[in-house]
Amino acid sequence: MKQDRREFLMRSGCALGMTALATQMRHFGLMSAMAQEAKSERSDVVPNDYRALVCVFLAGGNDGNNTLIPNHNDATISNYGVYSAARSAQGLAIAQASLLPITVPRMGGLTYGLHPSFGPGVAGAINNGIHELWAQGKMCAVTNVGTLVAPMTRAQYQNGSVRKPYQLYSHSDQVGQYQGGRSDTESFTGWGGRVADLRTSPDNPSGLIPMITSISGAQLFTAGQTTLPLAIADSGTSLANVLNPQGFSSSAANQARLAAFNSLRTIDLSSQVVAAASDITNEAMQANAALQTSQEVTVVFPNTSLGRQLKQVARLIKKRTDLSINRQVFFVQIGGFDTHNGQITTQAAQLGDVSQSMRAFYDEMVAQGVADKVTQFTMADFSRTFNPASSGGNVGSDHAWANYHFVVGGGITSADFFGINTSNGTPFPTLTMNGPDDADNGSNARGRWIPTTSVEQYAGTLARWFGVPAGNLSSVFPLIGNFSNTDLGFLVPPA
Amino acid sequence: MVGRLLGAAPRVLLTAMVAVFFVGSALADSDPDPNSPTPILLTSPDSTRVLATDSSVRGKGSLERIANNRAFDTGSKIALYFTNVALMPGEGANAFRVYASDSEGHFYRFPVVGLGRVAGYPDVYRATVILTDDMKFWGAPRPGDLNVYLAWRGLASNVVKLGVGGMDGIKDVPGTFPTPLATARAIAATQAKEMGNEDSYGGVGYRWSSDRMRFLEQATFGPTQTLDARVRRIGLRTWLAEQFESNYADFPYPDIPLMPSTAPTTCDGGTDDVPLTCRRDRYTQYPVQIWFFKNALYGESQLRLRVNWALNQLWVISGNDTQQSSHMIAYQQAIDKNIFGNWRQMMYDVTLNPAMGNYLDMIRSTRTNPNENYPREIMQLFNIGLFMLNQDGTLQLDGQGNPIPTYDQTTVTNLTKVFTGWRDCRTSDFQANCPNAVPGSPDYKDNMSLNTGSHDLTAKTLLTYPGSSATMNVAACGPPTCNTQATIYPYAYASLNQALDNIYNHPNVAPFVSKYLIQQLVTGDPSPAYVGRISAVFNANRTSPTQMKEVIKAILLDPEARGDSKTDPNYGKLREPVQLTTNLYRQLGVTSVDGTTQSDANISRYPRAMSQNPFYSPTVFNFYPPSYVIPGTSLLGPEFAIFNTGTAIARANFANSAVYGRINVSQPDTPNGTQLYLADLEAISNADATGNKLLDEMNNRFMHGTMSSQMRSTILTAVTAISSTPANAKARAQAAVYLTVTSSQYQVQR
Repeated sequence: MKQDRREFLMRSGCALGMTALATQMRHFGLMSAMAQEAKSERSDVVPNDYRALVCVFLAGGNDGNNTLIPNHNDATISNYGVYSAARSAQGLAIAQASLLPITVPRMGGLTYGLHPSFGPGVAGAINNGIHELWAQGKMCAVTNVGTLVAPMTRAQYQNGSVRKPYQLYSHSDQVGQYQGGRSDTESFTGWGGRVADLRTSPDNPSGLIPMITSISGAQLFTAGQTTLPLAIADSGTSLANVLNPQGFSSSAANQARLAAFNSLRTIDLSSQVVAAASDITNEAMQANAALQTSQEVTVVFPNTSLGRQLKQVARLIKKRTDLSINRQVFFVQIGGFDTHNGQITTQAAQLGDVSQSMRAFYDEMVAQGVADKVTQFTMADFSRTFNPASSGGNVGSDHAWANYHFVVGGGITSADFFGINTSNGTPFPTLTMNGPDDADNGSNARGRWIPTTSVEQYAGTLARWFGVPAGNLSSVFPLIGNFSNTDLGFLVPPA
Repeated sequence: MVGRLLGAAPRVLLTAMVAVFFVGSALADSDPDPNSPTPILLTSPDSTRVLATDSSVRGKGSLERIANNRAFDTGSKIALYFTNVALMPGEGANAFRVYASDSEGHFYRFPVVGLGRVAGYPDVYRATVILTDDMKFWGAPRPGDLNVYLAWRGLASNVVKLGVGGMDGIKDVPGTFPTPLATARAIAATQAKEMGNEDSYGGVGYRWSSDRMRFLEQATFGPTQTLDARVRRIGLRTWLAEQFESNYADFPYPDIPLMPSTAPTTCDGGTDDVPLTCRRDRYTQYPVQIWFFKNALYGESQLRLRVNWALNQLWVISGNDTQQSSHMIAYQQAIDKNIFGNWRQMMYDVTLNPAMGNYLDMIRSTRTNPNENYPREIMQLFNIGLFMLNQDGTLQLDGQGNPIPTYDQTTVTNLTKVFTGWRDCRTSDFQANCPNAVPGSPDYKDNMSLNTGSHDLTAKTLLTYPGSSATMNVAACGPPTCNTQATIYPYAYASLNQALDNIYNHPNVAPFVSKYLIQQLVTGDPSPAYVGRISAVFNANRTSPTQMKEVIKAILLDPEARGDSKTDPNYGKLREPVQLTTNLYRQLGVTSVDGTTQSDANISRYPRAMSQNPFYSPTVFNFYPPSYVIPGTSLLGPEFAIFNTGTAIARANFANSAVYGRINVSQPDTPNGTQLYLADLEAISNADATGNKLLDEMNNRFMHGTMSSQMRSTILTAVTAISSTPANAKARAQAAVYLTVTSSQYQVQR
């Protein structure tokens, strides 16, 4: 009796082995390759250069209001005095004298200021920071950028006539929208992953590792429908060891055990949960074989989590020829930006780490001769309320919306502000609570700027430079058709 | 099916009688057969195509006359016919899920919106199904034949074909055969007879060995042979009753004094510290991790700690921002006292705990400078979530098919005002109760006290939902005036309690908490019916001081949790790193390195390497979110958020360290060391040169009898590659354990 029942159960279970085929094919975009062939779209020529996008995610939501600050006294638009009046009483304003000045052509040549931590004077500095790159034309800012379903004025926000991104001000949802590249509904895939779905087959036809690598776990940004990211530890572990299963000597017994270890992942795939685990482990084992030799980078990186993550990225880029890879997307992350309290000290330390690490990485790209082929860019959950939270030594800020992001690389067109103009006719918002750019209303208004530049426009410009054809942008960014200007101009797409 | 029901009744009677004679009635719950029948989708006699009609066709007349050689339109509503289920009262359409895969191997889930009987066929049901994917990972299936199956209580039916938008292009999965009603009834009868046989014993105890091990994986930090033998003897229900009566952890909380915020020079990690471990013990969470793993590895109060650990990953605080171990311990105690208690009381105790106050900033939120952090997360992460839920945990949708937000920024702003004014316990505050206060150190051992001058006195409007009128409006303080501590104090506490009632009474809380706990203990993507059953228990016990005990019991005894094996490919959950670690150690009798005593339990290095460093969550979102979808599947799999190429290999390397190595003795942090006890496996290995007995042991201990023949033969090949000398007995045992616990099959608790 037992036999009969087991047999029936087993048969119905094994029958579901059909998942196995699909998951096995998900490595390295193999399915994407097949799909491309089916559609006869493989007219692309394998690129003869190298390009990489490096996403630096400021997790928790960096306060843009204290990162990029008006450093002028022009009376016609928000100036330092306006900023200071809103933040100094509670102790959140940064002194004007300590700002690192940048000249902004788009703002008529007015001076703005970067957070002092972007300069050489931070504790333990090993380089001059990224402020210096502005003057060299290797860094720019994208302003008033945030999650949007469609362009939206303050009146439209308040009367509900244009759909809002779902769950504004919620960490998980806003991260999901930044990384997912759409704000109308939850995404199961990220825009980095979808770029890889589209470009793996034409750009990396014989790549030995996936197009996407994360040094900070498998985040939504890195997940495609057919792309699994390579997720590895930071430079504290060598590439040769980062995915290496320990304990297999060359003895016959050990080799037999290794063979079994590997072949166990080819069976019992009827369970989707088991198959998913096997699939990811398979990818690790295949990449491990390709990572056994490498050369060390030459520039010194900060010995911080972010510094080590970017150093590991730099190691992989140095190995790009061995890996037979022409296009790569990387994800690194630094947490600690959810500064509801203690912001002055915390943000200074975090931004110092960001500046030092991104600068070291830029210098290493110069040393490798690919500075103009590798672009770093920041993303974050959201910016923070212009109105401080708490006060004194505890002062911080709460969750808000539109933010400023920074792009660093030799491919930048100019050191300037890029983005869509706000109601004041410039790409920099009016810093007034309950003012024309504030989503909040009335006497409780805290200063949560409504974005004029969408994540899609920002990311779309990056994706175009990476090699996504204009005609394919909408397959990566489903809502990009809602926005008129899909190229913000801070990078130039390949000819 | 009839036979099964008849067969079950006498046993229940007999069990009850035995109980009366030998045991106190409180411990006399009987354990029924945990297995459910396997649903069978019907086909016609000569086809493997599912018997289906448009849903408008009522099931009258002969089933045999349904012409099923047709395709249905995408998006249409159809009825599928099946048999061999035994429903509980109230068990309806949401207990069933229909999964389909297309010729590309992509999976889809079709909503089951109705369930009915078929006139003239008492054993046949019809499920009304809409042919629109509600998983949404892959979009619409490719037109043509799909392979479909019905899932119920973690069991999968046979897989048969269904044409949607066409009828070509997919092969039968191997072994498929037609299941017309006569065949299906024969299979059902065979099953019922077998189950009847399993029923035919007389006595207390729990003989379903596979389910027993599954149960212990769900309710503890891993089965041990001793524990398994005990549960076999006394049964699940009696064991549960004992666990609910068990006191706090067997290994008590370390008694750590409150320390100043600035560490004194004798406790700052220097060589002049007194004692030398002062900083480790007072300014890091080391003692909490040791306390936790001591109890996980050796404690008797397994269920209490298992639920504690689950709740720690819901009401998250982190050692990254919690300065002292004494602060974390006070927080653990606040959770601990409510584990089998009432959820509303837990809300109160956590809200006023200073470690939570510090972590999410309520401790510094004031009338003039309010902080939204805790008010937002107590709704979003801890109790309600972002969208309105049905009681079975599924999303409510508006007329346009969009989810309905539970609140907006205005609610957050208003709730924030309620939570202003509290701070770490100060004896100077009005009516403060700070018995543990130590001068010079912030008091994180007592609840926060109220600085009345910092509490917001204006009116607030809180969560609005059906039934919220009693709690949603907090009036302004007064009238006429509210300017003394004696007037503000009661106002503030009344407002706080009203706000917590406002949250607790929100209809989302029951399904939100129920689904989360199911995901933590049993399966990553439970059926809505399962969630609904637990929500009902949560709601029925809303005012009970033992509400959570009833909830936990219901979760663990639910038919979706129980049964010898679960055949639904979507059932189960990835073992989180902590569970992987403790299960291996407990299953193989972990000891100190010299084998004479217990491990010192300093093992957090292993889960840390796999992205789960206990009591150091990276953010308030925990190590992994409950809503995580396994890429490529559209199946909820929370733990997969920290399963990637890097941590997959870290898991294998943990097994390598534990099986082939040990944690050596090193003062002061690992005074005993840690190693597995392999002697019994060596003896088994030594006694059988074929390796078969060793594999039997692996199958029973680690896979609770579900190891496939292929898995068995694969491991056996590697084991027998080591020659069978007595000196090699250990090496064979090690190879068997390593391969079993590193397999994907074992990574998944199902």
